[in-house]
Amino acid sequence: MNIIVCIKQVPDSTRVKVDPKTSTLVRAGVPSILNPYDHFALSQALKIKAKTGANITVLSMGPQQAVSVIRLALGLGADKGILLSDRAFAGSDTWATSYALAAAIKKTGNFDLILCGQMAIDGDTAQTGPGIAYHLDIPQITFCDSADIEGRVVRAGKIIDGGHQLMEADLPALVTMTMPFDYAPAYPSLMGAFKAQQKPLEVWTAAQIGADPAKLGLEGSPTRVDRIFPPPARPKGQIFSGSAGELADTLIEILKKEGVIK
Amino acid sequence: MSKIDLTTRELMLESIKHYAKTKIPFDFVREHDAKNLFPAELIKDMYRHDVLGVNLLLIPEEYGGLGGSTTDIYRICEALARIDLGIATSVFATFLGSDPLSVGGTPEQKAYWFGRMAKENMLVAYGATEADAGSDLVSLRTRAEHVIENGKITGYKITGSKMWISNGGTADLYTVLAIAPGGPSWFLMEKNTPGFTQDHHEDKHGIRLSNTAGLSFDEAFVPAANLIGGVEGQGLLQAQAVFGYTRLMVAAFGLGAGEEAVETAIDYACHRIQAGGPLAEKQGYMHKLITPHYIRFEAARAFIDETAKKLDVNNHGQATEGSIAKYYATEAGNRACEDAIQALGGFGYTKEFAVEKLKRDVKITCIYEGTNEVMEMTIYRGRWQEHLKTRGEYYKNIAAEMEQIHSKTPDLGADVLAQGLRALAYILEECRLQRLTRHQFITFKLGELIANGEVAAALCRALGAGKIPEGSKFDMDTLKAMCRVNAREVAYDIAARGARLVLGAGAGDANNMLAQTNFAAIQGRMAGITEDMDKVSAKLRELFKK
Repeated sequence: MNIIVCIKQVPDSTRVKVDPKTSTLVRAGVPSILNPYDHFALSQALKIKAKTGANITVLSMGPQQAVSVIRLALGLGADKGILLSDRAFAGSDTWATSYALAAAIKKTGNFDLILCGQMAIDGDTAQTGPGIAYHLDIPQITFCDSADIEGRVVRAGKIIDGGHQLMEADLPALVTMTMPFDYAPAYPSLMGAFKAQQKPLEVWTAAQIGADPAKLGLEGSPTRVDRIFPPPARPKGQIFSGSAGELADTLIEILKKEGVIK
Repeated sequence: MSKIDLTTRELMLESIKHYAKTKIPFDFVREHDAKNLFPAELIKDMYRHDVLGVNLLLIPEEYGGLGGSTTDIYRICEALARIDLGIATSVFATFLGSDPLSVGGTPEQKAYWFGRMAKENMLVAYGATEADAGSDLVSLRTRAEHVIENGKITGYKITGSKMWISNGGTADLYTVLAIAPGGPSWFLMEKNTPGFTQDHHEDKHGIRLSNTAGLSFDEAFVPAANLIGGVEGQGLLQAQAVFGYTRLMVAAFGLGAGEEAVETAIDYACHRIQAGGPLAEKQGYMHKLITPHYIRFEAARAFIDETAKKLDVNNHGQATEGSIAKYYATEAGNRACEDAIQALGGFGYTKEFAVEKLKRDVKITCIYEGTNEVMEMTIYRGRWQEHLKTRGEYYKNIAAEMEQIHSKTPDLGADVLAQGLRALAYILEECRLQRLTRHQFITFKLGELIANGEVAAALCRALGAGKIPEGSKFDMDTLKAMCRVNAREVAYDIAARGARLVLGAGAGDANNMLAQTNFAAIQGRMAGITEDMDKVSAKLRELFKK
């Protein structure tokens, strides 16, 4: 059983601020982290590994610094890391990225299950996972908070309104994972971190995965970002004071005035 | 070269920060601080190999540890100090306690004891200090008498007492310095040894989460195999061999605690609106209470990192550098914590905010591992020898190096620092000619000026080589602004205060002194300090506003 977990290094978006004058993201001093959805996807892969003895390869695309999130994954128990790093990849949108990742997955040879985070917290597109499944022409189950293996079948809990839909797919298949609200990401022990240093980690270029340069980078990306801007500030609310009874009366009056109640 | 690479080191630091965030909330620390409690379970948890295994860093790889380098360990010490200096001290005491073993232990002793430390997650304590033997270990009184059976030394009976021992009441294993018939020697003693008792946990000003206790030995027996190195009389040499290293760790404590306090103050000042704007936008506030401290931290970091990398190559030594690092970084950390209380005003004076506790905690870094006055003396002694050996060229050589750096990187202020270092060489020589080192206070203050000069040079050296010191959060441009401020201030300070020391002792001629220290030229280079400080202040707001 070979599992591939696709991971991405992202800025900790809870710490990113928007410059009010230029409307650009202020990234200075913002730490880079493993995308939390990918962190959760990895935890599911590790569970399957504990049960089946599966081999886990983590795959990422990004600059050399992205090695640090691969090391984190290796420290937690993944077996091998692959980083796609090449100038040719720069500027790739989700379409070009999923093409490159799919090409790398094909190059690994045998793969049974591919787990991806639902989306990356820096882009929020949720397109790369499905894009990989398309390029590999394999079934996909998206928006799941659990994934397990039974023989040659993956069972995944897809979140739907009011509950879960238990879905199955024959392997090879791809599942994108969302995470429970109370998910606490794990970090390796110091010994785990040290052992990660000794695990195989390969850096592949565009040529090594046999990718068509025309399908990579800006040239291979149909998406164009027009501009990035923060949502307009909401108008200031009204604050009322008084006893609970008076406030209830005030509230009823306003709701009547707004036509919400009669 | 260290075996743990930079990416792994950063990952280890991430794991420690993550652990602290989830398992050591401020309320936990505050409660233990208020009740003077040692968090025994927490420390044991941090030692568990499947949780963090922080103790494994000090254990060589061949005995089941991680064999952490000096760089690895100082960076971990800095991170731990940011969490709680008491917890950091407990962990550090285990590092320190095992040092005599790593320096002087026989291969068999290392295999046995390190093996047990790794397997049993032992807490270790370093038993050196006595009532009359602090920095002056020669005055040691604890004795180790031979136990002889059939004409052979089978063990030692240890009698005496130790005080202010970190982990004293909680350790599983103790390294104890005692005078054997052959001279001062280190012994390994386990906690339940008959005749060995531990006193109560001291009620301290700070680092209250670190257990500190006295130890009493009444003919406590250890087998001959527990004499570290198997040869008597090596104790003081073994203790001194690691001072460079251990003092560097305390330097990292001062740095970590100081950073935590100042960053807390910056975030507070970004949100505290007074007189129409955030405090952090007010120049007087920043230039007085915040910015100079962070500039010193970055200079300290450059020096600590430079020394750590040297220790990683040479293993031991660097005693003067360790003293400089400890003195400079802990003075900087202590003053920064003091100002952080001031920066938070009334809030800073309450226990709701961490800065009040940080201030109490950080004070110990100016005291333990040799007081900062002993550091001043040690720095002076070490460099005075160099001054004499080189016939006064020591600081002129460093000045020439700074001029070389300036020729390639002219925006560091290395040229003005060179002037300051030449002034230092002149003042040292003047002290020699006028025999001023008979005044102890002058020797202390020479130690301080030397430390300031060498730390400033380390920052110039790193940036001149295009290197951002490991662990720094700043970009090259901001670091250069910091370097310029520091170089100017240090040069000015050496020339001005150095002259005062000489003239104050009734020696030298003021006009000649002004000319020889090039004071007018140094003054002429002060322009731009305010602008650079503004630049640094703006970056501090950008980085540390949460």
